Amino acid sequence: MRIIACTEGSFGKLEPFSLEMITAARTAGAAGDEVVAFFAGQELEPAVANLGAADRLVAASAGGSQLIAAESYTRLLADTVAAEEPGLVLVPYSANGLDVAGNLAARTGWPLVSYVNEIRRDGDRLTVVAQVYGGKILAECSVPLPAILMVNPGAFAEAERRAVDPSKLQHFDATAAVAEGKVRLVGVDVPNYDSVDLTTAERIVCVGRGIGDEASIDIARGLADILGAEIAGSRPVVDSGWLPKVRQVGKSGQKVKPKLYLALGVSGAPEHLEGMSKSDLIIAVNTDPKAPIFNVAHFGATCDLFDLVANLSERLQPGR
Amino acid sequence: MKILVVLRMIPDSAGELELTSDGRGIDREWLDFQLNDFDDHALEEAILLKEASGATVVAVAIGEGSNRVLQMAVARGADEAIALEAEGDGMIDSRAIAGSIVALARSKAADLLLCGVQSTEDLFGQLVPYAGALLGWPHVSGSSRVGIEASALRVTQERGGGIAATYEIALPAVIGVQTASKAPRYVSGSKLREASKTAIGKAPSEPAGFERSAEIVALRLPGQRGSGENLGDNPENVADRLASILAAKGFAGV
Ligand SMILES: Cc1cc2nc3c(=O)[nH]c(=O)nc-3n(C[C@H](O)[C@H](O)[C@H](O)COP(=O)(O)OP(=O)(O)OC[C@H]3O[C@@H](n4cnc5c(N)ncnc54)[C@H](O)[C@@H]3O)c2cc1C
Repeated sequence: MRIIACTEGSFGKLEPFSLEMITAARTAGAAGDEVVAFFAGQELEPAVANLGAADRLVAASAGGSQLIAAESYTRLLADTVAAEEPGLVLVPYSANGLDVAGNLAARTGWPLVSYVNEIRRDGDRLTVVAQVYGGKILAECSVPLPAILMVNPGAFAEAERRAVDPSKLQHFDATAAVAEGKVRLVGVDVPNYDSVDLTTAERIVCVGRGIGDEASIDIARGLADILGAEIAGSRPVVDSGWLPKVRQVGKSGQKVKPKLYLALGVSGAPEHLEGMSKSDLIIAVNTDPKAPIFNVAHFGATCDLFDLVANLSERLQPGR
Repeated sequence: MKILVVLRMIPDSAGELELTSDGRGIDREWLDFQLNDFDDHALEEAILLKEASGATVVAVAIGEGSNRVLQMAVARGADEAIALEAEGDGMIDSRAIAGSIVALARSKAADLLLCGVQSTEDLFGQLVPYAGALLGWPHVSGSSRVGIEASALRVTQERGGGIAATYEIALPAVIGVQTASKAPRYVSGSKLREASKTAIGKAPSEPAGFERSAEIVALRLPGQRGSGENLGDNPENVADRLASILAAKGFAGV
């Protein structure tokens, strides 16, 4: 069987989950299977320099801007799928992947399972484990092949980074195809890290929706100050305008790996965990003992976050 | 312009979820059903577009509590409310309902289909790409802003790492809303009471023509708290323990 592992990269960098898709493909594969990495983007360099762990690389150069719209990515992938006739296509659960996976499933009529964490081959089927209900329930599914899986970033280890052998690279120019798309990229905004760069912070106190309102952020900020930590927030907190976008941790925010990550009133949805589960020390406070944040926390407490912050601030206050 | 916005009622993930005795579903008997958070943002974006451009908004809801949420949608500014018949009483499978949504988008002559970017139940794929592919319309998932200029949409999409891409898309189109341009508004009790008089239309379920993706063999709860230590629920004890853990690891005192 042939397995296509979809990869992504922009601004000269390969998304690390691209290497995870190769590991996922190897996990799903049997002896003799071929793993083909698929890449589409403006510059091929990040893919060519890193995706050598795949058996082959099919790469489309899209011209134009740094980012390629999912519409074009899907169209190029669909052409590759038609030519390669794979038995399995792995798409990362990313902003791009959200549009790619379902569209490809509709075009091919193939089954699609999303939010996949584990893959096992069972003859001519796959058994996969996917996360539903914000990570509170795992669904084990039996999927006939050919199939498409949307795989969670962080679920598989990164394959080794090495350059692609030139004889294993198949490159095509897709500039014309991309120019025909109906979704036209007109601008890209890159966050301004001048004020704060969470990716280099050593200590982070992150508040989730459990903080309740904007005024209460100050209570958490007080504890962050005592700890010498940066304050960060989950998506709902940033969406409500209580913290600036550069302080969002997770899938569409920053991916952080501090020495200390204290999560207050964060449920631990997969999209949040993606941004912080590799932190050295994770401490979580959440009144719901079943909150998925506890699955990655090294220490967890189920008390009210306000009671905890008050008590802990008092104990850590310098000069006390 | 006519906007069709989809509202899915899903179990509250913050609540207690229990499995059925056969282990293949969740016990729905005592569950609280809520409007999918992202669909709430899609509704808000639809109303904001109506206010900016004079569009008509048709809200279609599916799942338990549809009528209640449709009344709320009308109170917030939707012009028409439709309850979509659900098949069975299990998960709302976006792959399966895509056919009904597409049929409605066609029969209502919608130019723009708005839905939440995802729901925690769409194990078999998201509504936006399925509906987009079936309609043959361009689609973009994960919007944080949708605006209209002339007859083209301007959509800002959240990519990873805080990067935002802005696209121009000619209508018709399908957009998966992650965050509305403004936080969803509250409605007053009097507006809700007024809206409760609105007639709610019905739409039958239509097949999407896709085969079911997979068979659910079993559902289970994730392994209880990895290797982490539970410090309990007494804030004073927890604070004592955390203070010494932080001190031991060199974090206490700056
Ligand atoms: C494409 C995409 C990208 C996304 N990107 C991100 C991202 O970058 N970052 C991100 O965070 N999310 C992201 N999300 C959203 C994610 O799915 C969740 O909706 C979000 O992480 C939930 O945030 P939360 O944990 O703060 O809120 P909730 O899930 O509402 O959790 C609040 C928690 O607080 C607890 N709580 C309430 N009161 C208290 C109290 N007094 N004391 C203690 N605990 C309390 C509750 O038990 C609950 O567990 C993304 C989603 C999608 C679809």
